[in-house]
Amino acid sequence: MISTNMHVRRAASLLLMAALTVGLGAGTTTISAHSPDPVLGAEVFAQDARLLYDWRSGATPPAAFRTAINAAADDIKATRASRAAVFLHDVNGSSPIGYGTGTCGVNGIACFTRNAPTGFTMWFREQGRVYDWGTLKWCQMYSTAPNGCYDVETVALDEFGHVEGLGHHVNFADDSDYTDAVVQTYSRTKPRDGYDMHVLGVCDVATLQMRYDIPLASSPYSTCLDVATVLTLSRSSSSVAYGGSVTFTALLKVVSDTDYGRLSGNAVSGRSVRLQRRPPGTTTWTTVATMTPTSPTGSYVYSMRLYSSAEFRAVFSTPTTEGLRGDVSSVTSVSVGSCSTAPCPLSTGQ
Amino acid sequence: MVESRWFRRAGPAVAAVGAVALLASTTFGAPERAWEPAPCSGVARIGGSTPGTWYRIDPILGAGARTGQRLVMGAAGDQATRAMALGAESFAAGPFGGTILVGTDDGSRSRLSLVDVGLACAWRLDASTDVVRTATITPDGTTVLEHRVDRRTRADLGVWQRALDGSTSPTRLLAPIPADDRFGPTWLTHLAWSEDGRSLAVQSCGEVACRVRILDPRGGAVRLVADPSLGDLVGLNGDRLVAHGACRGLPCPLISVDLGDDSMLLLDHAAGQAVLSRDELGRSVVVHEVGAGGDALRIVGLDGRDPHDLAADPDGRRLVAGAARSAGATEPVRGWVLFGPDGRLPTDGSVRPVLRHVPDGRAVPLSEVSR
Repeated sequence: MISTNMHVRRAASLLLMAALTVGLGAGTTTISAHSPDPVLGAEVFAQDARLLYDWRSGATPPAAFRTAINAAADDIKATRASRAAVFLHDVNGSSPIGYGTGTCGVNGIACFTRNAPTGFTMWFREQGRVYDWGTLKWCQMYSTAPNGCYDVETVALDEFGHVEGLGHHVNFADDSDYTDAVVQTYSRTKPRDGYDMHVLGVCDVATLQMRYDIPLASSPYSTCLDVATVLTLSRSSSSVAYGGSVTFTALLKVVSDTDYGRLSGNAVSGRSVRLQRRPPGTTTWTTVATMTPTSPTGSYVYSMRLYSSAEFRAVFSTPTTEGLRGDVSSVTSVSVGSCSTAPCPLSTGQ
Repeated sequence: MVESRWFRRAGPAVAAVGAVALLASTTFGAPERAWEPAPCSGVARIGGSTPGTWYRIDPILGAGARTGQRLVMGAAGDQATRAMALGAESFAAGPFGGTILVGTDDGSRSRLSLVDVGLACAWRLDASTDVVRTATITPDGTTVLEHRVDRRTRADLGVWQRALDGSTSPTRLLAPIPADDRFGPTWLTHLAWSEDGRSLAVQSCGEVACRVRILDPRGGAVRLVADPSLGDLVGLNGDRLVAHGACRGLPCPLISVDLGDDSMLLLDHAAGQAVLSRDELGRSVVVHEVGAGGDALRIVGLDGRDPHDLAADPDGRRLVAGAARSAGATEPVRGWVLFGPDGRLPTDGSVRPVLRHVPDGRAVPLSEVSR
């Protein structure tokens, strides 16, 4: 049982550090396996912040390290799929990255400090440092990387992830989902699967999306998420004359829930939203059309002429390629007047 | 005692190398000549007359890889420092009453010596075909405790003890720690004494999380604290253990473990560096950075009582944590905590370390308190 004299906010509780969820248990929200990475720290950087780093004076990493660290910074930018901060090497950068002892303490191969929203520090242990188990080897320090080496770019990516505010991913017991996150408690060495991941994993991205938002309303949500949506449907008129035109407008949004962080209440555009109808009093729905995305963001529209009364609903099916949960709107009815001027075409389902 | 090549006498001019001014956090190459201490006379002992003894250890790099370590030692207020060149696998511990325990391995043997900083000499203590990873000296100054691993397999061999004066051969005091998948292979073993000196914390850290065995060296009782949510040890008093969470960086939760019932108390959810000290009533407190920036400090009892702020250092010095984090240490002064540039002992000499008095926050140069 843990007791606390600190006020832990709800927003942080979703994500409280993995360190606290494993052993301290009660009183915190447990992060289960294959969830988004736990959150590290309550503070975040500004959306799309440019964090400029430079090599620490007197502790500049070797050239091979510098190249790999810069590559990891590029990896973040290329695969963040969110508005998380980006990292850029700049000789005037205020966030130092060092090589050697630093103040990592007992931590293994690298460490960081994050001081959001202003900056960070990072250290990499030097090639050849000796641990109880043996000697540290970095793959980039060899022309042919030996088994048992750590990949600098992967470890740097992990550290950049921490700086963004990602805690260690909680894996399945068999680690079968190890590559769903690069921010891991335990680093793998060559040649184990995932030792040289040079992209953020889906569960890293999931938390970045919750903390920093997605880039665009049409951007995909990480498949490590299971974000509920709410779909509403309105029509331009509840009753029209025979053959009259009705415009249906659906609005697709992420459910408002503080657990979703910055994704809460997001309009969702660019998806497939179908309009369905059925005769009043029946149960079988027929798809009329795929609605057309329109403005404002998250809106989908379809106009049609009606020749018989009907009930309508909009459907957003759970996509297989992203972490949104489908929804079905409530039913709305449109009544259609009788045909008063011949010829009166038979109802064609419209 | 047989004088070895390693112990051969060096001239006084070599002794004072002023290495502090040259030392950076990582040392590239070995531009200055290393000091080799003369052999001390008599049997090894601690409790010399040099107050404020300190050390700092840094890797020596060649082509980006560690080729050795440089150990710089000095005494507060004394401009002269001494720098020893050690092997790639080496350590320093202490200070213990004006002395520093030094271990270095040449690939076939680990050699242990005790350097008296004030006398500028060293006693050779031991040579082992096992790898001595780290060591400490009992508070009564009689016994050396060594953590060893097997040279070929790197398997843990436990903690061994021998008399400081060489009157006894090494015997095993504590068994190797059993494997535990929750922690993975042991990266680093750290030995730390409780505040009262009665218990030895043997901390075995995996890549991120740590286990601690609390040993009564006299009675032999061992208590294991093995929770994967715990990281590096901050300190230990009679009934509580304070540790960071199992983080890969800072800030990180600061946790106090009640050794009576294993209950855990979250002292801070996002702490930076932290050390144990004493308040005006002599009670154990934790002094820690709030967040990782180092610009806010807090003092709190180990049981969470009476949290209050401590003003940050106006010149930007950072709290210097224990040896496992800062790769250095100074003689402890009860009720005072050390601040230095980047949270370490002196680097380029431009910023001197200061001690802060925990009860009232006043700051004085390291040398003044130590005298």
